[in-house]
Amino acid sequence: MIRRGLAALAAAVLPAAAAPDHELVHNEIADILALPADTAYGAWLASECTSCHGVGTEGGIPQIHGLPAGYIVGALVDYRLGARQHEVMQTIATRLGEEEIAALAAYFSEAD
Amino acid sequence: MRLNRRAVLGSLAAGAAVLGAPMVMGQAAPRVVVVGGGAGGATAARYIARESSGAVNVTLIEPTRRYYTCFFSNLYIGGLRDMESLGHDYGTLASEYGINVVHDWAVGVDRDARTVALAGGGSVPYDKLVLSPGIDFKEGAVPGWDLSAQNAMPHAYKGGSQTELLRAQVLAMREGGTYAMVAPPNPYRCPPGPYERISMVAHVLSEVNPTAKILIVDPKDGYSKQALFEEGWQKHYGGMIERIGPDFGAQNTSVDPAAMTIDIDGAVESVDVCNVIPAQRAGKIAHDAGITDGDWAPVNPADMSSRADPDIYVLGDAAQQGDMPKSGYSANSQAKVCANAVLGALTDSRVFPARYSNTCWSLIAPEDGVKVGATYEPTEEKIASTESFISQTGEEPEVRAATYQESIGWYAAITADMFG
Ligand SMILES: Cc1cc2nc3c(=O)[nH]c(=O)nc-3n(C[C@H](O)[C@H](O)[C@H](O)COP(=O)(O)OP(=O)(O)OC[C@H]3O[C@@H](n4cnc5c(N)ncnc54)[C@H](O)[C@@H]3O)c2cc1C
Repeated sequence: MIRRGLAALAAAVLPAAAAPDHELVHNEIADILALPADTAYGAWLASECTSCHGVGTEGGIPQIHGLPAGYIVGALVDYRLGARQHEVMQTIATRLGEEEIAALAAYFSEAD
Repeated sequence: MRLNRRAVLGSLAAGAAVLGAPMVMGQAAPRVVVVGGGAGGATAARYIARESSGAVNVTLIEPTRRYYTCFFSNLYIGGLRDMESLGHDYGTLASEYGINVVHDWAVGVDRDARTVALAGGGSVPYDKLVLSPGIDFKEGAVPGWDLSAQNAMPHAYKGGSQTELLRAQVLAMREGGTYAMVAPPNPYRCPPGPYERISMVAHVLSEVNPTAKILIVDPKDGYSKQALFEEGWQKHYGGMIERIGPDFGAQNTSVDPAAMTIDIDGAVESVDVCNVIPAQRAGKIAHDAGITDGDWAPVNPADMSSRADPDIYVLGDAAQQGDMPKSGYSANSQAKVCANAVLGALTDSRVFPARYSNTCWSLIAPEDGVKVGATYEPTEEKIASTESFISQTGEEPEVRAATYQESIGWYAAITADMFG
C-alpha cells in the first residue's frame, strides 16, 4: 500500500486532469479516517460550513449534519482532487489538509 | 496547488477536546456587548453565547424588533419573495442562547470607562465590545438628495420599509415610464446588489410595463459580475436597460426630488422612479466611538479587533479589512473569527487561526442565478483573497437554475446561523 498524502495526491492528479487512481484515493481516505480527530477544531472549522449548510433541506444545498464520517472525507478528498466538481466546494476544499478533513468529518458525523 | 497541511495546533494528540463550559479568567462572568443585530452582530452574539455556554454574559443592542434582510430584498422587488420571509426576530437568541437583547440605540461609547450609552438612558458596561452597525449614507454624496428625500427617491439600501416603498413605486409607474438608479461609488455594501436590483426591476417591468425604460447612472467604470449581468440583460430584457458611466459625466449627477428630475452633467431628465443609492460610510456609532479613519473602521486582519482599541471589534460593512466585499456572508464569516478571539481573550477556550470566506449569489432573472466567491487569509496588512471563482457567461440554463437553488439554501442556512 503506497501512502502519498493528500497534497501529493492532488499534485499528481490535478495537472493531468486524469481520473484519480481509485486505490490511492481509497487509501488516502482510510488514512484520514485513521487520524486522531480533534472535535473542538472540527467545531471551529464547521462554522465556515454552516453559512451555507443548514439543518433541514430548503433549496439546493445539502444537509451535511449527521452524515457518516467516511462520506464526508470522501467528498472533501474528491473536491480537493477535482474528481467532484463544484466551484464553491473546490475553493473551500483547497485549503483543507488531512487534519482539517478528519476534524470536520468527526464533527459533522456526530452533529444533529 | 498549494500544500495545505496545517499543523498550527501542534497538539493534535493531546488535543482531546475538553468539553463543557470554558473556564473564565477572573471572578465575575465577563461581559460582551454587541451593537447591531444584523449579519455580523447577531452571528457574533450567538456564537459567543453558544460557545461559552453561559460563562460569558452577552448583551445585544439593536433598535428594531424585527430585522429585515437586505439579502434577497431584490427578490422581493422582483415579486419572487414576500416581505415576511425576509423578517427575523430575536426571540431565539434571547430564549435559547440567554442573550440579553436590548431594543435601543447605542448613542455613545466611553472607551475609558468601557461603557455603551443607550438612547433610552443608562449605559451598559463591557469587557469586550463588538460593533456591527452596518452603513450610513454620506451627506451630500448626491447633491439634492438627503434622508428627508427618501420617500420621493428611495435608497432601499437598508432592509424593510424602504424596500417595500421602492417595489410599490415600480408597480405604480406610468406605462412606458422611466426607472432611474443613481448607483454608488466604491466601496459600498453588496457590490453586485445594485445590478441584481436592476435585473429584478426589469423582470417586474417586462411583465407589467414592457415599454418602460431603466436608466443606470453610475460613477464607476465597471462593476461586479458586469459581463454576466450584461449578457443576462440582453438575453432577458432586450433593450430595456441603459447605463450611463463616468465617460458621459455620471459622476457629476444631482437630483431634484420635488421635480422628480435627475441632472447628469448638465442634461436634465424627468424620471418616474428614482432609486438613489448614495456613497456610504461606517454606521454612526463607529465614528462616535472614535475608531474610524476616514469613512471606515480599520481592523486587525487576524481577529477583527479595531486598530484603535484592542477591546473593540468591528464587523461587516463598517470594517475596513482588505479584500472581502461588504456582504452579509462576509459579516457572518468575520463574526465567527471575532467570536473565537473574544472567547479566547475572556476564557480559557482555544483560539484557532482565522479563516474567512464569502460567496455572493445574484439573480438575473427567475431561475438564472450566478455567483462569485473567494476564500481569504489574514496578512499583516489586510485580509487577503487566496482562491476565487465566478460563474461563466454562456452557462447552461440548468447550471443557472441550480445556482439559484443554492442561493435559497444559503439564505435559509445563514439566517439560521445568525438568529438560531
Ligand atoms: C439590495 C441588497 C442586496 C444584498 N444582497 C446580499 C446577498 O445576496 N448576499 C450577501 O451576503 N449580502 C447581501 N447584501 C449585503 C448585506 O445586507 C450587508 O453586507 C450585511 O447586512 C452587513 O452586515 P452588518 O452586520 O455589517 O450590518 P447590518 O446587517 O446592516 O446590521 C446592522 C444593524 O445594526 C443596527 N444598528 C445600527 N446602528 C446602531 C446603533 N447605534 N445602535 C444599535 N444598533 C444599531 C441596525 O439597526 C442593523 O440592524 C445586500 C445588501 C443590499 C442592500
